[in-house]
Amino acid sequence: MEKIKQNPVVRKIGFNRVILIGVLILMYLVFCVAIKGFAAAGMNHFMNTLNYVYFLGFLSLGVTFSIATGGIDFSIGPVMFCCALIGGYCFNSYKMPLGTSIVIIILVGLIFGIFNGYMIAYQSIPPFIISMASMNIAKGVGAVFTHVNSQSFPLSSDPVNGWFSNIVSYKGFPTGFVLFLLAAIICGIIMYNTRAGRYILCLGSNEEAVRLSGVNTRKYKMIAYVICGLMAGIAAVFFVATYTTVQPGYGDQYNNEAIAGCVMGGTSMTGGIASILGTVIGVFIISLLQEGILAAGFGKDIQLVVTGIIVIVAVYADVTARRRKN
Amino acid sequence: MGDVILTMKGIDKSFPGVHALDHVDFEVRSGEVHALMGENGAGKSTLMKVLTGIYKKDSGTITYQGKEVEFHNTREAQDAGIVIVHQELNMVGDLTVAQNIFIGREPTKGIRIDDKKMIEDSKALFKRLKIDIDPRARMKDLTVGKQQMCEIAKAISHDAKVIIFDEPSAALTEKEIEDLFVIIRDLRAQNLGIVYISHRMDEIKVITDRVTVMRDGGYVGTLITKDCTKEDIINMMVGRVIYEEPKTHSMCPPDAPVVLKVEHLNAGRMVQDVSFELHKGEILGFSGLMGAGRTETARAIFGADPKQSGKISVLDKASGQLKEVTINSPEDAVKAGIGYLSEDRRRYGIVVGKSIIENSTLACLEEYTHGIFIDKKKEKQVTEKFIDELATKTPSADQLVMNLSGGNQQKVVIAKWLVKNSDILIFDEPTRGIDVGAKNEIYKLMNKLAAQGKSIIMISSEMTEILRMSDRIVIMCEGKKTGEMDIAEATQESIMDKATRNIS
Repeated sequence: MEKIKQNPVVRKIGFNRVILIGVLILMYLVFCVAIKGFAAAGMNHFMNTLNYVYFLGFLSLGVTFSIATGGIDFSIGPVMFCCALIGGYCFNSYKMPLGTSIVIIILVGLIFGIFNGYMIAYQSIPPFIISMASMNIAKGVGAVFTHVNSQSFPLSSDPVNGWFSNIVSYKGFPTGFVLFLLAAIICGIIMYNTRAGRYILCLGSNEEAVRLSGVNTRKYKMIAYVICGLMAGIAAVFFVATYTTVQPGYGDQYNNEAIAGCVMGGTSMTGGIASILGTVIGVFIISLLQEGILAAGFGKDIQLVVTGIIVIVAVYADVTARRRKN
Repeated sequence: MGDVILTMKGIDKSFPGVHALDHVDFEVRSGEVHALMGENGAGKSTLMKVLTGIYKKDSGTITYQGKEVEFHNTREAQDAGIVIVHQELNMVGDLTVAQNIFIGREPTKGIRIDDKKMIEDSKALFKRLKIDIDPRARMKDLTVGKQQMCEIAKAISHDAKVIIFDEPSAALTEKEIEDLFVIIRDLRAQNLGIVYISHRMDEIKVITDRVTVMRDGGYVGTLITKDCTKEDIINMMVGRVIYEEPKTHSMCPPDAPVVLKVEHLNAGRMVQDVSFELHKGEILGFSGLMGAGRTETARAIFGADPKQSGKISVLDKASGQLKEVTINSPEDAVKAGIGYLSEDRRRYGIVVGKSIIENSTLACLEEYTHGIFIDKKKEKQVTEKFIDELATKTPSADQLVMNLSGGNQQKVVIAKWLVKNSDILIFDEPTRGIDVGAKNEIYKLMNKLAAQGKSIIMISSEMTEILRMSDRIVIMCEGKKTGEMDIAEATQESIMDKATRNIS
């Protein structure tokens, strides 16, 4: 065991991440054995999982930044839907070009991020309260804007706008996967190699000490939430490119799944410690789990229960690990 | 001194990689005050934690009131009559004094809490301690000194036979310390055994009967206090002689330019019309009692707290003239070349969960970036340079700051401002909670920095520190500046006189 821990590659990515990858593989194997037809369906389940990873991954990467500051963002799921609904309405009812609609989708996410970030960082309102309020605002705005109509986006068979689905899959090649990994790499660079990331992590650990070092902590705290909102907007693009339809009034469950993926990956709910690689693996585990639950014949409700339990277990593990360290 | 009430023999305790206690012996007699001394990391706290059941010993025996005992948690120790009064007070601010004293074991009448009995019992406790505190007062409205008295009352309410004081005086004023000593002497007269942990040599001489010294987890020896000198104890603690001679004259040349000028600074109740000047290469001591407004003045200058009025000017390097600066945030202050080292390192100085590197460059990360990317190599180089220069004890620059001792954490904070190359450094209680050896290093370092042309404001509650380090002294009392003197004319008496000037 010690030998594995001292291995330079393992040290670089972190022992816990290695375990997580193991869990992911094990889970896949268990599903293949335990769920009838899971192995036989082969690529089918695999592609479903990937589709889930795309939008959830962006949400989870984004929320990693807000959690790194020691905060939280419970609004990302409904914000994602709100973005998609507004963009969809612009496309369907205002007949805007698809490209413009995509930009609007991302902009809406950005606006929510700016709002959340400003209220939390500059007005010192607890993240929990603001994001809960934003969650309801996002749901309401999405419904009001579309007059409570679900919005559809073009299918791959669409003669003019069929290119839209290429974002996630081009002739069977998972472009979404490549884009997601690219986003993860960029997030990793921001988190570990730029001032913004360094300050976000440090202020998550001890905000007052960072402020007294002459750092404008408010600005960097806000940036974390802006990244989070922006990622929710991008997640919305991937969601509609994959599933083509969004309904008003939903999205809450993705909060828990995104946070579960993030925390499971080793990002600490108390702030200061974040792992982008962990989030990526965590998102795969969550997505595979959702697929497995469905394949085993259970419904959405069981998914919710399982995700809830995962959040508790992941946070519990984090808290006990910390306690042992002290 | 009465009979031996508590004996710890051959106590051994190891943590992964550290032999924290190496067959330590310790005994307490009833009716004595027994000092437990040693540098930080010497194992004092670990020993007390073993005693009160927080840690499990690997070997050795604890004999208490003639019987071998082993406590599994503080509750068991408490019930047996061994109580710790912690350095950090464990009180709930919004509850009353009585509620705090009886927290967790409130007397009840049926299912209701019997407040009346609680208050009566508290009064009886305070009477026994001969102190005057209203049990109905809210804890947060009391001074730190009074809060500590409540903690002591809580301790004796457990019918304690042995009370351990863990650095009780760290946050108290001189007057409060005197009151504390009266109480401790009283408890001694009532035949309790008292363990007194402190870094302050003067107190040890005044209050204790015996001294046990520990070093590097081992037992060094036990002395009768009145038969030994300060130097004897220090030598046992560090194994070398340290001289604590006060400065006799200012080291700062009389024609040194003014680098910082503060005029009519007002910030709340604690900073009223404060004006002073700081010269290049000077160590300006800020003396006064706890709560005199020194920290508040520093925080207002640094922009950490808002100020109502006042003018702050800083020497402009380019023109050689004083230039007024607007400081509304620490960001502004850092830009103006001011660095602040807080009295509370863990809360305001360091990011404990991050590495030495990350802490060292925190104040000037922009100088260690290429475009938007952090230059990690350059960052590591500068950190290692200051680890060498300040002789910070650490296995590597990547070490998390939480794994360093208090003195070394302080060096990391100093390194942060040196990396930033701040010209004006405000040291707020620079040696609080730091052991004698490391303290001396910090002193040397401050003198060296001053000699290099850095200007230092040093806030200190320790008179010996003020007299040893300062070139000039500003004295504050209740938010106002009450005096200023050159080190050549300063004495303990003249400083105390000004520090209590406003107090009737």
